[in-house]
Amino acid sequence: MAEPLKVVIVGGGTAGWMTAAALAAVFRADQCKVHLIESSEIGIVGVGEATLPHIRFFNRRIGIDEPDLMAKTQATFKLGIEFCDWARLGDSYIHPFGAYGSRIAGVPFHHYWLRERAANGAAPIEDYSLAIMAARLNRFALPSDDPTAVLATFGYAFQFDASLYAAYLRVFAETRGVQRTDAKIQDVLLRGEDGWIESVKLENGSTVAGDLFIDCSGFRGLLIEQALKTGYDEWTRWLPCDRAAAVPCENAGPLTPYTRATAREAGWQWRIPLQHRTGNGYVYSSQFISDDEATSKLMSRLPGKALADPRLLRFTAGRRRKTWNRNCVAIGLAGGFLEPLESTSIHLIQIAITQLTDYLSGESLRGHFDPRIVDAYNRWIEMEYDRVRDFLILHYHATERDDAPIWNYCRSMDVPDSLKHKMELFRHRARVVTYKDGLFLEPSWLAVYFGQRIMPTAYDPLADAVASADLTSRLRAVQERIQFAVMQMPTHEDFLERYCSAGKATTAQGRM
Amino acid sequence: VSGAIQRVVIAGGTPVAWLAAAALRRAFRHRDLHVTVIDSGGGKDAPAGRWTLPSQRGMHGLVGINERDLMRRTGATFKLASEHLGWHGAGSGFLHAHGDIGSDLGATPFYKYLLLQAITGRPENPEHYSLAAVAARLGRFARPMGSDAELTSSFTYAFHLDESSYIAYLREHAARLGVHRIAGDIVDVARAESGNLDALTVASGERIAGDYFIDCTGADAPVMNKIARGGRDDWTPWLPCDRMISALTPPLADAAPLTRITATDAGWLWRAPLAQAALAGYVFSSAHLEERAALVQLEQSVPGLQVSALNRFASGRRQKFWERNCIALGTAAVELEPLAGADLHLALLGIGTLLELFPLDTHSQVESVEYNRIMGEHADALRDFTIAHYRAGRARPGEFWDATRSVPPPPSLAAKLDLYSANGRIVLADHESFEETDWAWLLMGAGRYPDSIEAQIQTRLEKITLAELAPLRARIQQLAASMPPHIEYVRRQSEQAQHAKS
Repeated sequence: MAEPLKVVIVGGGTAGWMTAAALAAVFRADQCKVHLIESSEIGIVGVGEATLPHIRFFNRRIGIDEPDLMAKTQATFKLGIEFCDWARLGDSYIHPFGAYGSRIAGVPFHHYWLRERAANGAAPIEDYSLAIMAARLNRFALPSDDPTAVLATFGYAFQFDASLYAAYLRVFAETRGVQRTDAKIQDVLLRGEDGWIESVKLENGSTVAGDLFIDCSGFRGLLIEQALKTGYDEWTRWLPCDRAAAVPCENAGPLTPYTRATAREAGWQWRIPLQHRTGNGYVYSSQFISDDEATSKLMSRLPGKALADPRLLRFTAGRRRKTWNRNCVAIGLAGGFLEPLESTSIHLIQIAITQLTDYLSGESLRGHFDPRIVDAYNRWIEMEYDRVRDFLILHYHATERDDAPIWNYCRSMDVPDSLKHKMELFRHRARVVTYKDGLFLEPSWLAVYFGQRIMPTAYDPLADAVASADLTSRLRAVQERIQFAVMQMPTHEDFLERYCSAGKATTAQGRM
Repeated sequence: VSGAIQRVVIAGGTPVAWLAAAALRRAFRHRDLHVTVIDSGGGKDAPAGRWTLPSQRGMHGLVGINERDLMRRTGATFKLASEHLGWHGAGSGFLHAHGDIGSDLGATPFYKYLLLQAITGRPENPEHYSLAAVAARLGRFARPMGSDAELTSSFTYAFHLDESSYIAYLREHAARLGVHRIAGDIVDVARAESGNLDALTVASGERIAGDYFIDCTGADAPVMNKIARGGRDDWTPWLPCDRMISALTPPLADAAPLTRITATDAGWLWRAPLAQAALAGYVFSSAHLEERAALVQLEQSVPGLQVSALNRFASGRRQKFWERNCIALGTAAVELEPLAGADLHLALLGIGTLLELFPLDTHSQVESVEYNRIMGEHADALRDFTIAHYRAGRARPGEFWDATRSVPPPPSLAAKLDLYSANGRIVLADHESFEETDWAWLLMGAGRYPDSIEAQIQTRLEKITLAELAPLRARIQQLAASMPPHIEYVRRQSEQAQHAKS
């Protein structure tokens, strides 16, 4: 029997332990052996306390019990993200994990909404989204299995403590044979003949060799950049924020089943409610505000009493030119950084892991990485990052704010052609450019277009085929069904209490 | 809206022209869109007949065509599969059926199981797991029925059609929907000051003005070319065939619901059944075989060949299908040999996409950008699928076959085949018509198997034994055998449709 593939993961944290857990769950011990090296002296960044619905597929794929996970990570449910003050001061919209109405005669619902709005004045678009209506009322229930039910028109994700998630996955991975070493990396040794990574030398004097190295070392990219000099494409011209100050505080008010992102004078502030505390942070651009000022602004705008001193993070928006280079794959912040505005950090980790585990088969499981496989992987990751990038830029660019230099800059900046085309098509006739692969689907784009006050000047002419009286009553019926369904849902806090209260959590190793 | 499109003028009497006219007229009946077809006949590149893809039924549904009536009036037959003979050397053959291969094993498509079997030295024929394939082999047919999960709904179908009856049928149908028809050749194409097209003049001197124009005339595309500024992508280095002879023939003795596509030294011969006759054709490269010699070969292989049509074409596509207030559909947009049935399919996709992006006024341009982006991707994906027939498997010897492999494949196809070869993944583009299963039919049919499949899937599939699948194979055999013979089914349906009419 052939030797198992020796995988060395450099860095714990969310990316490192997600990768370790997935490899341990997907591969048999005779196929793949995982060794994770992390240093307890280096803190983890732990960004991405808010997630996207896709994380549930990841958890299911590796066999994680959801209520158990939620209880042990102080998790709450998430139905979407509320954006405050983005297009204008005083504005609020929610990007929901769910649809607006449903197609009529093959034409997407929002065209009919636009038509009705112009003709007779329709209710706000929010009223046609169950996820938003439930979020606004702090209610939650699991989606229905019956695809025709209005309760099947949404999805959900979690808001959790990322360091507890990493700890949870660590237990999961170690139980399944992942070896962990607590040490700092001193040096990365490359093979003379082809520049592949041969081993990493640890500060404790030992050396760890491997076939495949996963760089989860964070922004600095210890392997992918410092050792392999892979290069980085910067996107600061479109996404100028390059710092974040983060601080937890006590909970205040009801636990919202959504994350909040409030536009500020030099960036935006997040608020993520967990069971035991609220996560806060100010993502800002150092061109437009000093660290001291940003930190003091953050501290003065906390919803509850601070539970720690603020921590400062530095980053550059962009993507590594190749996230798989030679025998090194960079996952998480080592692979690229996109600010957590749309909670994409963990999702991009998940995409990388899912692709990687699918690509590790046959020859590549024997440590021979066919360049064609590597290229295919890199193309895929590139596409995912680029599509998220365009979506994020839209939030900054489509604003009417002129009260601060950052907004003046973003409003008037030149955006990528791919985004320009999407915005133009939407403005012109409410058409959303869709794709098969890539993260954000039509409802997400609609939420942000409408929320950022991009109002189309026309809608799909095919939507005129429905008689006008019919349309009015159909729209009203959708609205009423949603209202009725939401009133049946328990409050978010009641549901949490029953489903996954942290107070009821079994001990850390408990149910695994 | 000022400047809204009120008059659409369609040039050409091809099936695509009539379908585009019917689709526009029906989709915009609420605003009484005025649609005129300038019928200059089926065009000089009209074949004697064609085989289609299941998407055609969607378009028929959209324009309100009654399928049974259509079949009765045109003598059409059903198509469950294409059979490829000799593509990978003498005696080789495989089916590409319009149906599932097995049923998904959890979230894993069934073909992955067949890949694994082949990798581990136990290759199996995918046909045994496909109701469409088994029925096609037995020469039997029945329409799919039952709920999605049932084996009886695990397939779909398309048609074999005689071109002139199909055109006549569509012309009549379009007339019922209120499409205006003006017969005659186009002698002049006029532009307005804005640079847009303004009017077409026919031989009688009549001038037909329009707000929007559709060129369905054929490869020469005199209307589109009046304003076209975009270039053309040449596909002939990969697809050297440039001629098609097609003809009606006496009925086939064995009228199975499939199109038979046989490789020759200079291209491929095809045969398809019709209700009262049959079709035959020869697609070949004129650099490797003279037209006259090709006709002789066709006549020798098909007894009783009747009237034949010759099309000359060059594979490739327009870079911009839609410019200003004019769009090209059919061979005016893309020329592609009908090997995968993709020629008509692409035109129908174009009609569907045009409906979705129907311009708000004569000056809006952003729709054309989106249309060209989507349809360009579709066209390239169909090109790749067609080229893959020539390149996926073991090479057939001979100059023509060498020529089909003389340059590297398009990068998109190379990437697809490479990834598949390495780990069995079939990755589709955003806008790609053929699905994973279609590629699986083609690749397995060509005898091309990957070196490995995804480890996680392999672990799951290794537990499945051949014996466990025996009931599925048996049930497929039994169901297929219980279907009526194809032509009997066609005849009976035709009689019923006749009764329903009278």
